Amino acid sequence: MHLTKQEERTLSGEEGFGRQKAMELVVALGEIYRAKRLIPITSAQISGASFKTIGDAGIKFLEDFSHEAKVSVRASLNPLGLDERRWQSMGVDKKFFDKQARIISAYKSMGVELLYTCTPYLAGNRPRQGQHIAWAESSATVFANSYLGAMTNREGGPSALAAAVIGKTAEYGLHLEENRRPRVRIDIKVIPDGMVPLTGYLVGKLAGKRVPFVNGPSMSEDEHKSFGAAMAAAGAVSMYAFSDSKRRKSTNTSQIEERLSIDARDIQDCADGLKGDDAWDLVAIGCPHCSPSELRTMARALKNRTPRKKSDVWFCTSRMVFARCPKEVAVLRKFGNVLCDTCMVVAPIESSYRRTASDSGKAMVYLPTLGKQKASFRSTKQLLEAISR
Amino acid sequence: MSTFPISFLGGVDPASGTILDPECDSEGENISGKVFCFPFGKGSTVGSYAMYQLKLGGHAPAAIINDSAEPIIATGAIIADIPMVDGVDVSLLRSGDLVDVDADEEYVELPDVVEKHVVTSIVKSKGKLLLLRRSDKVGSYRGQWAGVSGFIEPHERDDEAARRELAEEIAAEKIRIVRKIDPLRFRDKGTIWCVHPFLVEVKNTKIRIDWEHRSFEWISPDEIGRFRTVPGLQQVISRLIGD
Repeated sequence: MHLTKQEERTLSGEEGFGRQKAMELVVALGEIYRAKRLIPITSAQISGASFKTIGDAGIKFLEDFSHEAKVSVRASLNPLGLDERRWQSMGVDKKFFDKQARIISAYKSMGVELLYTCTPYLAGNRPRQGQHIAWAESSATVFANSYLGAMTNREGGPSALAAAVIGKTAEYGLHLEENRRPRVRIDIKVIPDGMVPLTGYLVGKLAGKRVPFVNGPSMSEDEHKSFGAAMAAAGAVSMYAFSDSKRRKSTNTSQIEERLSIDARDIQDCADGLKGDDAWDLVAIGCPHCSPSELRTMARALKNRTPRKKSDVWFCTSRMVFARCPKEVAVLRKFGNVLCDTCMVVAPIESSYRRTASDSGKAMVYLPTLGKQKASFRSTKQLLEAISR
Repeated sequence: MSTFPISFLGGVDPASGTILDPECDSEGENISGKVFCFPFGKGSTVGSYAMYQLKLGGHAPAAIINDSAEPIIATGAIIADIPMVDGVDVSLLRSGDLVDVDADEEYVELPDVVEKHVVTSIVKSKGKLLLLRRSDKVGSYRGQWAGVSGFIEPHERDDEAARRELAEEIAAEKIRIVRKIDPLRFRDKGTIWCVHPFLVEVKNTKIRIDWEHRSFEWISPDEIGRFRTVPGLQQVISRLIGD
């Protein structure tokens, strides 16, 4: 890989130990993927914020590294294992809180923006078309590549942090136009009501590592958010192309080598497979974090209903969106906990719950593994009906 | 040593450096301060942090050798400052080997192991392959079945060595080299045999062997399994006659 004089100096340690380590990491990964050079990035999104996912080893690394390094581009942080204000109402214990606090202060001292969300693009860090970025968090990566047209690989926590410190990443994978061309076309005629996440889940399974071209019904921004998140969780996909007459974005389809389709039957089979049972002790909505319009839609649906209180309910969102929607939050609070900074995937839910229902395709992948939950998929509408009358 | 991929999260005890993964051939052994060799990493990205924790506790390996580096192990090696070399065929290494590792110059040396370069020619005629049984007078692999083999002399090209051995051992002169492939390496105790394989064709199946062999047979390729051969011969043959 070719490095500029300046980059060589960073690598040799002339600019300090933290920048040297960060450069070593970016260069080593670049060499694994045969990158030819480094390219500047405009922002980073850093995963590995919850104590639940990074553990004591992660705390040690972050605390040590934070003495040496500062980020040099805009860098925002993924969700925590708790809501910083409402953690006691989630059943999180003090020990977990203290560990989480150490992680927060390490990131803070490095200059990382404490957005605590998987949807930084709804909280101020929204990249533009064609910008190179280094984002971890698979759901944000796929949204940035596919919907926003920014360019990023699916970074890991340490590599996104390292890229943020030196302000550069190695040019390989989805930073190169030729790797962004779809290799498989997936035709979808109809997506039944509330089944967008599961359709994304199926696309992820079919596409595997390939960029798919999704030829299907037009979707809203919110739908792309949950569609892509499920896709990235179910497969190694970090980008999809899609047909959209409004955006008139032309897709280069010359590399497509296979054509597949998903019909209503496939989606129904998938829903049946993930249905679980009706006995749950938590309903969790907001994976990825709810947008303002999702909060609005839910508040409108619940406005004239009363809570059923058969199970606990979490509505998960970012603190930015929370602050923007006080009326909606007031309605939803009657039905459950409106949480910021965290979600059912990265919070230690296994200490309080055993069975969780969610409307998220991504959560269906992680609840049974990371969360040790018996998971039940329901559409948002079905969940709202289940928690109210 | 592990011939299977390793995850540092769950696969290795962070408090002691003991290998916990039951799939690993070295389960129960301790990697602290040793050179840890495995093909590549697997599993959770938190594995990188687990390597850092091993380092802080004094239980990190002295170095890591991989067939191919992947991001989790590479990230862990850098943040934990563990020297790492990749692109090494770890199947040539054995548990207990003494190794010199230089991650800056990117090399691995085995001071107690010698590499010997040999040629092996598989002779083909009318669809049959020639196997020779080594005599009791040769220095290695007595009584085992082999191709036409011998050491490459200093300053000799491998194809010259192949022709010389063919002339000496089976008195074959009118030969045609049909195929040559990149050398294959095989480990046998303190020796790594670097075999330079050739596929050659002779018109006449009548050959004359010298003192190095006690007998020979023309066989069809699928019969090879019946013979007790020198290490790696089957692999050499399948690579030479495969596509």
